[in-house]
Amino acid sequence: MNDQIIFENVSKFYGEVLGVNRISLSIPPGITTLVGPNGSGKTTLMNLMTGLVQPSSGRISVMGLSPVNAPELFCILGYCAQFDSFPRGITGWQFIFDSLMLHGMSEAEAVELTIESLERVQLGDAAGRKIAGYSKGMRQKVRLAQAVAHHPRVLVLDEPLNGLDPMARAESIALFQELGRQGMHLLISSHILDEVDRISDRVVLIAGGYLVAEGSIQQVRHEVQEKPMQVLIRCDRPALLAAKMFSVNHCVEARLHADGKGVFLRTGDIDQFYSMLNGIAAEGLVKMESVAPADDDASAIYQYLIGSSGGTS
Amino acid sequence: MSVYKHIYRAYDGKVTPVWTRVFVLARYGFAEAWSSKITIGLFTLCLLPPIVFLIGIYLANNSIARALMGGLDPQGLPINARFFLILLEVQSWFALALTSWIAPRLITFDLADNALPILLSHPISRFGYVLGKLIALLASLSVVTWTPCLLLFAYQSYSSPLPWAAANLQIAAGLLAGELIWIAFLSILGLAVSSWVKWRVAATGAIFAAVFVPAGVGGIVTGVLRTKWGFLLNIPFMMTSLWQRLLGAPESARANFYLPTGAIVATLVLACFICAAMLNARIRAREVVRG
Repeated sequence: MNDQIIFENVSKFYGEVLGVNRISLSIPPGITTLVGPNGSGKTTLMNLMTGLVQPSSGRISVMGLSPVNAPELFCILGYCAQFDSFPRGITGWQFIFDSLMLHGMSEAEAVELTIESLERVQLGDAAGRKIAGYSKGMRQKVRLAQAVAHHPRVLVLDEPLNGLDPMARAESIALFQELGRQGMHLLISSHILDEVDRISDRVVLIAGGYLVAEGSIQQVRHEVQEKPMQVLIRCDRPALLAAKMFSVNHCVEARLHADGKGVFLRTGDIDQFYSMLNGIAAEGLVKMESVAPADDDASAIYQYLIGSSGGTS
Repeated sequence: MSVYKHIYRAYDGKVTPVWTRVFVLARYGFAEAWSSKITIGLFTLCLLPPIVFLIGIYLANNSIARALMGGLDPQGLPINARFFLILLEVQSWFALALTSWIAPRLITFDLADNALPILLSHPISRFGYVLGKLIALLASLSVVTWTPCLLLFAYQSYSSPLPWAAANLQIAAGLLAGELIWIAFLSILGLAVSSWVKWRVAATGAIFAAVFVPAGVGGIVTGVLRTKWGFLLNIPFMMTSLWQRLLGAPESARANFYLPTGAIVATLVLACFICAAMLNARIRAREVVRG
């Protein structure tokens, strides 16, 4: 079986409204993060991949299967939609159990897998309660449990961290990481980039229905090498350091850190920048604690490529 | 890449055939339909007429009981096609009431709660989803339509001293066929109307309206254009004519209002196609919100 998710020149229009346009992608196993502002077409891309909407043109293949063939596709794919909606009056247990029955499991297996998935998201104690009485985070968790319950090969998660408190978010990220490490194919869309990009093998940047960039974060960063890069320097005299660095042409922006013990400097020539920084450190005028790239993550790349208006809302 | 060890094992155990999963939805639909106390109340009401007809059959076949009731005339209680036609009609209109209550529960809730994307993110098609709901509704309606009718037919066959059943097999076949046609039509109509009305109470009213409003329009067409074909919009009239012919009962409509059976069947089939198109348009997992 082909282990890639392939989009070949895929377009989707909702009447006259553009969903996505001419998307060509090949996504290997591992964790892939789909990044883009609201309305960029992330959910459309996920719905196309899961066959919930049909492309206006182009071809999609999920591990060799066509999304048109729902019975086959959903045997290997788990989908966690972003919408906070459930069948009425259902308990957490029923939600997972019914889902597994629809996946064609026997009753005994469905019971076993329901217990496993509920424990996986730490909802075992609340399984008998109606979902309507769950907190937003619990509802998010039960959706995640439903998506992984049937042991899919591909997991598509639309905004899976929305509404989760920091603890639950950390647990979910750990779960994604574990599943990705084990060889599952995870496609995650999220606005909380600073957390998701740490575990992502690849990022796909999308804006206005168009694919902007794709690859590992480093690869994508490389693609935008000519763009200024931001570095955070923790030091005792950030204002002095900023003034010194600004005296050279390649330094285009300086911003003091909120705690006053550091400065963000943006440069167009990173080699020159580091060379000059060494000189200043050698002079001993400024005591530097640390120097670190401040934007070698999806969020920053996203800002570069899509513009600050499409921020990480 | 974070894939260090491919120890993850996707599920590769046995699964049930795809067609059987329709029955999972049907089972849950059935449970949903009968979880309401109003459904139980309506069901109880639906069983009252068969009890009355049961007493009628008992009295017609038991001279002692008739004597105890004050010497009722056995000719006054003829158990024939007309007797069962009345039963069939009564049960059929109760079935409409039950449909108008149950059908919205099966579809409207899923639509109103935006639960379709979740349900359709399973190895089941849109057709399978609708079929599951249809089976749930058909099963619910069967309990109050052809099942009690045929049970009463069987009781009459058992009670009658004459070889009554053999001589009246058309009644049994007519009861079964007439009720199956009616509940199949009601089910698809109920689901189609429910899929377009998100508010359950309004959906209940809309189902009644879908049956009776065209009848009014048909009456106007018949009156203004002086044509019998206006009755093709009159579902109660058409169904009564069809039931009478299926059971072999005398027809109540005047000769100049006679509708050919083919025209009635064609109208019902056309209505079913329209309902199927309505369902096809609405039962989708499409989400208009773009992320």
